[in-house]
Amino acid sequence: MGFLAAVVAPATAEPSFEKDVQPLLKRHCWHCHGEEPKLRGGVDLRLRRFMDKELDGGGHVIVAGEPAKSELLTLVKSGEMPEKGSKLSPEEIAILERWIAAGAKTERAEPESLTPGPFITEEDRSFWAFQPIARPQTPPAESGARIRTPVDAFIFAKLKPAGLDFAPDTDRVTRIRRVWLDLLGIPPTPEEVDAFVADTDPAAYEMMIDRALASPLYGERWGRHWLDAAGYADTNGGTDTDSKRPHAWHYRDYVVKAFNDDKPWTNFITEQLAGDELAKLTHESTRGVLPDRAAIPLLAATGFLRMAPDPTGDGADNPLTRNQVIADTVQIVTSSLLGMTVACAQCHDHRYDPITHTDYHRLRAIFEPALDWKAWRNPAMRLVSLYTAEERATADAIEAEAKKIEEEARALSAKHKDRIFEARLAKLPEGERQQYRDARAAKDKRTPEQNQLFKDKPELNVDAGSLDLFDPAADKEVKAVKAKANEHRTKKPAEQFVAGLLETSTPPPQTFLFNRGDYDQPKAQVPPGELGIIADAPEIATDDPALPTSGRRLAYARWLTSGKHPLVARVIVNRVWHHHFGRGIVGTPGDFGRLGERPSHPELLDWLAAEFMDGGWKMKRLHKLILLSTAYRQASVNPASKSADPDNRLLARFPIRRLDAETVRDSMLAVTGRMNPAAGGPPEPVGIDKLGRIVVGDQGRNANGEPLDIVRIGGRELRRSIYVEVRRRSPHTMLDTFDAPVLSPNCNSRAVTTVAPQSLLLLNDPFVVEQSEALAAQLRTLAAERRDRVILGWRRLFSRVPREEEITMALDFWNSQIALQPAISKDPSLAAAASLWQVLLGSNRFLYLD
Amino acid sequence: MRPHFCSRRHFIRANSFGLGSLALATLLRDDGLLGAPVKPAIAPERFDLLPKPPHFAPKAKAMISLFMIGGPSQMDLFDPKPMLTKYDGQKFPGDIRYDNAAEASSKVLGSPWKFSPHGQCGIELSELLPHLGGIADEITLIRSMHTGVNNHGQSMFALHNGRITAGHPTLGSWLTYGLGSETQNLPAYVALTHPSGMPLLHGDNWTSGWLPSIFQGTHVRPTEPRILNLDPPAHLAGEAQRRQLELLRSINETHLAEHPGESDLEARIASYALAAKMQTAAKEAFDISNEPAHINKLYGIDKDVTRDYGTRCLIARRMVERGVRFVQVLNVGQSWDHHGSILGELPRRCAEVDQPCAALITDLKQRGLLDSTVVHWGGEMGRLPVLQNDIGRDKCGRDHNTYGFSTWMAGGGFRGGYVHGETDEWGHEAVKDVVNHYDWHATLLHLFGLDWKRLTYKRATTELSLVNGQPARVVKEMLA
Repeated sequence: MGFLAAVVAPATAEPSFEKDVQPLLKRHCWHCHGEEPKLRGGVDLRLRRFMDKELDGGGHVIVAGEPAKSELLTLVKSGEMPEKGSKLSPEEIAILERWIAAGAKTERAEPESLTPGPFITEEDRSFWAFQPIARPQTPPAESGARIRTPVDAFIFAKLKPAGLDFAPDTDRVTRIRRVWLDLLGIPPTPEEVDAFVADTDPAAYEMMIDRALASPLYGERWGRHWLDAAGYADTNGGTDTDSKRPHAWHYRDYVVKAFNDDKPWTNFITEQLAGDELAKLTHESTRGVLPDRAAIPLLAATGFLRMAPDPTGDGADNPLTRNQVIADTVQIVTSSLLGMTVACAQCHDHRYDPITHTDYHRLRAIFEPALDWKAWRNPAMRLVSLYTAEERATADAIEAEAKKIEEEARALSAKHKDRIFEARLAKLPEGERQQYRDARAAKDKRTPEQNQLFKDKPELNVDAGSLDLFDPAADKEVKAVKAKANEHRTKKPAEQFVAGLLETSTPPPQTFLFNRGDYDQPKAQVPPGELGIIADAPEIATDDPALPTSGRRLAYARWLTSGKHPLVARVIVNRVWHHHFGRGIVGTPGDFGRLGERPSHPELLDWLAAEFMDGGWKMKRLHKLILLSTAYRQASVNPASKSADPDNRLLARFPIRRLDAETVRDSMLAVTGRMNPAAGGPPEPVGIDKLGRIVVGDQGRNANGEPLDIVRIGGRELRRSIYVEVRRRSPHTMLDTFDAPVLSPNCNSRAVTTVAPQSLLLLNDPFVVEQSEALAAQLRTLAAERRDRVILGWRRLFSRVPREEEITMALDFWNSQIALQPAISKDPSLAAAASLWQVLLGSNRFLYLD
Repeated sequence: MRPHFCSRRHFIRANSFGLGSLALATLLRDDGLLGAPVKPAIAPERFDLLPKPPHFAPKAKAMISLFMIGGPSQMDLFDPKPMLTKYDGQKFPGDIRYDNAAEASSKVLGSPWKFSPHGQCGIELSELLPHLGGIADEITLIRSMHTGVNNHGQSMFALHNGRITAGHPTLGSWLTYGLGSETQNLPAYVALTHPSGMPLLHGDNWTSGWLPSIFQGTHVRPTEPRILNLDPPAHLAGEAQRRQLELLRSINETHLAEHPGESDLEARIASYALAAKMQTAAKEAFDISNEPAHINKLYGIDKDVTRDYGTRCLIARRMVERGVRFVQVLNVGQSWDHHGSILGELPRRCAEVDQPCAALITDLKQRGLLDSTVVHWGGEMGRLPVLQNDIGRDKCGRDHNTYGFSTWMAGGGFRGGYVHGETDEWGHEAVKDVVNHYDWHATLLHLFGLDWKRLTYKRATTELSLVNGQPARVVKEMLA
C-alpha cells in the first residue's frame, strides 16, 4: 500500500520493534490479539515479552533469532493468519522475519503491565504531530543568501543542501498583483499599482501589505477560506429536498468580521465552539428576548457547530440522521481545528492513528449536551429571535391588539348568528322556541333529545355552517374586521433570527460508547475529554456549576487555545501557508495523522506556530510574517528548481497557480468596475436558467411548480461570490465549474482541475460575455482613442502596460472583429472590443496567480 | 501517424517510461532541437493527448467502467451459496469480521433469489439479472475480487488508484497518460454521473492525482445539457470566435514561454483547443435523438426505470465509438450499500441497470467494438453472508465485505463465458484464484498493451506506477 513506503524501514536496516514491527502488528493482528477483551488463543501481540509464550499445541509465538521456529512467521507466511482482513504483504513479512532473525529485540524497556484494550505505543506518542510546539532555533544567517526573515532562513536551510537558491524577486507590478489576489481576491486597480510602483519609501512593500490587510475585502476573501473548513452552506442538505437554511448568513458575516477585525484566534475558536456558554445563554433563556444584545455575535459564532448537513427538518428526523449530524459536526471540528480524521474511530479504534473508539466518544460527549440526539431540536426549533425588549413589547402589544380585533370579529359573527337563529325561531310556535334556545346553548353537551330537535329542524342548527351560507353580507362585514387584525399584525417590527447552538439548562445527557458505532448498542458511559494521545490535556468537568450549561465546550475551547495543544496552532498556520503558497507545509491540511503527509519543513511549521501564539494569535501579523519573506517575494520561474524539485516542495520558486472559483468571478467583476460592494446580509438567491445553468437571480414558480425565468435583482447579482447563496444540491454553475467545494460536510483542501467545461464557460457563458461588453462600454467612456482604451483595459486586467506589439496585436484584432460582426449589430466597434476583452479575461495571464 | 516532431517525441516518451527527461533532452539536442545546454540540461516536458503507441500489441483500446459504488451483494447476484439457503436464519458457525457494522448479527441470510445457469457456458446468475443472463457467454465473472480494506473510500481508492488513500491518479488517467486519446474532439476521459447527485468521493473518482491535469476525467452533467456552453454567443459564432481562439492561443503561448514547463498552463491551452472542437463534436456525441427506436428499446430508454442508466450507457457507447479512451458510469452516493432493506432495495437497483448493461454489451458487439472495448461492472466491495439489522426481513441488510466479492468484465480481450475464482462456501472470503485490485490493474494495463512495470511517471526522484510495487500478476486465465 502506498502509505507503507513512508513508514517501513529500508530493506537493509535492522527493523525496529517499536517503529516497524509494532505498527504492522497493530494493523493486522491486535484486533483479535490484544484489543478485544478476550484474547484469541490466549495470544497477545501487543508487547514483545508476551510473544515468548508457549502455544497450546506446543511451539512458541516467536523464538528470538530463529524465524523457522516462530509460529507467528509460519502462520502469516502461509496466509493462515490473519484470519480476517488483508494478509501481510511480502515486504511486511520480510520485516518480521528480519526482526526475529536479528534477535527480536526492543529498543526500550516495555511497560510493566497492560490492561486489555487499545494500547498507545511510545512510537504513537512520539509521532511528530503530537509533540509539544517548541520554538525552534532559527538557522544561522548565510552570507550572500537572500534571507530577509526567519521564514527564509528555514526555507534556505533546505534549499542549500539541494544546491538551490531562491528565484529572483518579482518586479513590483507582479508583487502587488500577487498580494492583492492572495489577500483580497481581486487584482489591484491601475491607481493602486502606480502608487506602489512609485513609492520610494524603503517600507513601501510592507505598507502596501498593510493597505491590503486594512481593506474590508480582506475578510471576505480569507473568511471564505475558513468557511470551506467550517462547511458553510445556505441549505440543509442531506436529502434531495435540500431546504433553505435562511439564517446561516449570520455566521458567515461573523467570520468575515472576525477576519477584518483581526480577532485573536483564541477568541475566534472559543466563540465558535462556546459563544453561547461565554454569554451564559441557554435554550430556555433565549425563548423570549435575548438578555444581552452583546450576545448576538457570540451566538452567531456558534453557527460553526450548525454547519453540518442536517435534514432533520425535512422529514428525515430519526435517530440515524440525528447521530449522523453529530458525527458530521465532530468531523468538522476535528478536521478544521485539530487536523485529524476521527470519523473511523466512530466504529472501532483508528487503524492508523492512535485514536481509540473511546476517544471518539469522549470528544462526542463534549458536544452531546448541545447536540442531544434523544432530545433533538430540528432546525426550525433552534432559532433565536433577535427582537429587542422594546420590539418584543411592541410586537406583543400589536399581537394583543390584533387578538382583540379578532375577538370583536368573533363577537360580531356570534351576534349575526343569534339574529339569524332568532329570525328562524320566530317561525315556530312560541312554546317550542325555548327548548331550541336551550339546546343551542348546550353546544357540544347536548342530550340525545336535544340532538333530535336539530335533526327534526336542521335549518335551526345555525352553528353547523359558516356565516356566509346564511348571510353573505354579514359575513363580509366580519371578514373585514378580521382583515384589520392581520393588517395590524404587519406593523410588528421585522423579526430576525440566529440559528446558533444552545444547551438546555437540564442536566447534561449521558454519552455512551456505541458498539461498532451503533446507537442501538450503547456500552460503557464515557465522560467528555480530549484524545488520549494528546499529553497534558486537562480534565473536562461533566457539568460546570458556575454555568447554566454544562460548560464542556467552553472548557474544551479554553484548552485548545491554551497554547499547550500540539495541533491547534500548527493546523492554523499550516492552513494559512496552504493558501499563500497553494500547498501547506503539511500537504494535507485536514489530516496531520499517519495517512496524511509529513511536513516538508517541520521546524518552520513550529516556528510559525510559536510565533503565531506568542504574537497573540493574530492572523494579520501571521500574514505579514509570511508575505515579507523572500520566499513569498520570489518569482515563479527558476529552471534549476523546476527540474530538481518539480513538485516545488522546497520553494525555490513561487508556485504559479490558478485562481480559485470566487477569485475568477470576483476579479471579472472587479476589472469591469461593476462589482457591487455591498457587504453582509442574506445571500443572493440562485436559480436555474433556460440553459441549465445555476445563476444568481430571483426565480418564481408557475402554478405547476415549474421554475420561471430568472429575474435580475437590481445589481445585487453583481455582488462578491461569498454572498452568493450556497446550495448544496444545486451549486452556482460558474463557481462549481472552477472547483468551489462540495460540502459534505466540509472541505479542507479544494481540488484544482483544468478541464474543457471551464474553457467552454470562458468562451461562451453569458456572464463572461456580459462582463466583457460592460468593460468595453466603460472604457469607451474613459478614453477617446482605441489605443488608450487598450492600454487602460490591459492595465486593469493584468496590472501592467501592454508592450507595443501587444497593443498592435489587440488593435489589429479589434479592427478585424468589427468586420465580422453581424449586419444587424447596433454597435460593431463595441462588440468587437468586447470580444477582445473576453479573450483577455479567459487568458492564463488573467486566470493564474503568478 | 505522420512522422513529425510530435510523433518522434511520443515515440521517445512511450518507449522510455521511466527513462526520465534527461535522456529526452539529450535526444532533442542531438536532433538540434535544443540550443546550447542550459544548466541544468533539461527541457520541460509538454504533455498532450495525441495517440501514443503501447509497449506491445494491445487487445483493448477503450474501457467503460460501470462502477457500482456501495457494494452489490455477490451472494444475491453472482455467487450462489447453497449453504446460506440451508442455514438461513441460523447462527453463522465461523467468525465474521464486521467492520463498521452498525446493527451486526450472526444470523445467516440465505439469498431469497433463485440462481440458474445461463448461456452455453452455464454461468449461474441470479434471477435479479435476467438480461445479464442473456449475454453470459460474453463475460468473465470474477468471484474472487479482494481489496481487504473494508471501508468504501479506501476500497474505492484501491480500485481507482492502486493505493488506499486519496490524491493519486486514477486508472483512466494512467491509460490516457500512457496511450493518449483516439479523439482530439472530445475529452479523453469522461465521467457520467447520476441525476440525483454525485457519487461518493465526488471528483476523486476521476482525478489525475499527481499526473499532469490534462489527464483528469471530465465530469459530464447528468442531465441535458450534458455539457454547458457548447453554443457560442450568436454574434461570435464562426469566424469571430475562431479568431478569438487564435488570439487566445497566441497570448497564452507567450505567457507559457515566460513560465516554461508549467503543465497546468499547458493543460489550459490544450483545454481551449479541445473546447473549440467540442462545440460541434460533443453536441453530436451527446445527442441521442437520432438513435433509432430499436436502440432506445434495447437500452430501455423507452421505460422510466431504465431511462437514465440506459441513456448513460448509450452515451458511453457513443463516446467509445468516437475514440474516447475511458468512460466511467457512476451511481449516486453509495446506492448499492444495502445495510438495510436489501430485499426491497437490491431488486430496485438491479432493475435500473440490468437491461442497459446487457444492452451495452450487445450493442458494442453488433458494432464490432466489443473486441477492443473493456466493459467493467462492479463495486468496491460485496456483502456479508450474515444479515444486518435483525428487526424483520423487510428491514434487514448485509454489511460490507471486501474479502471476497464479484465483478464481471467483458470485451477487450477478456475471455467469454468464464468464471474465475471462488469464495468459501459462505461467500465471505475469496479462497481460490484471488484477484487483488493490483492484479486487476496489471491485467487491464496488459490488455491495453502496457507493461504495468514500465508504465511509470517520474515525480522528483521517484518512479511511480499504478501498481505501486505491490505483488501484482497479469491474470492470464481470464484472457481470451
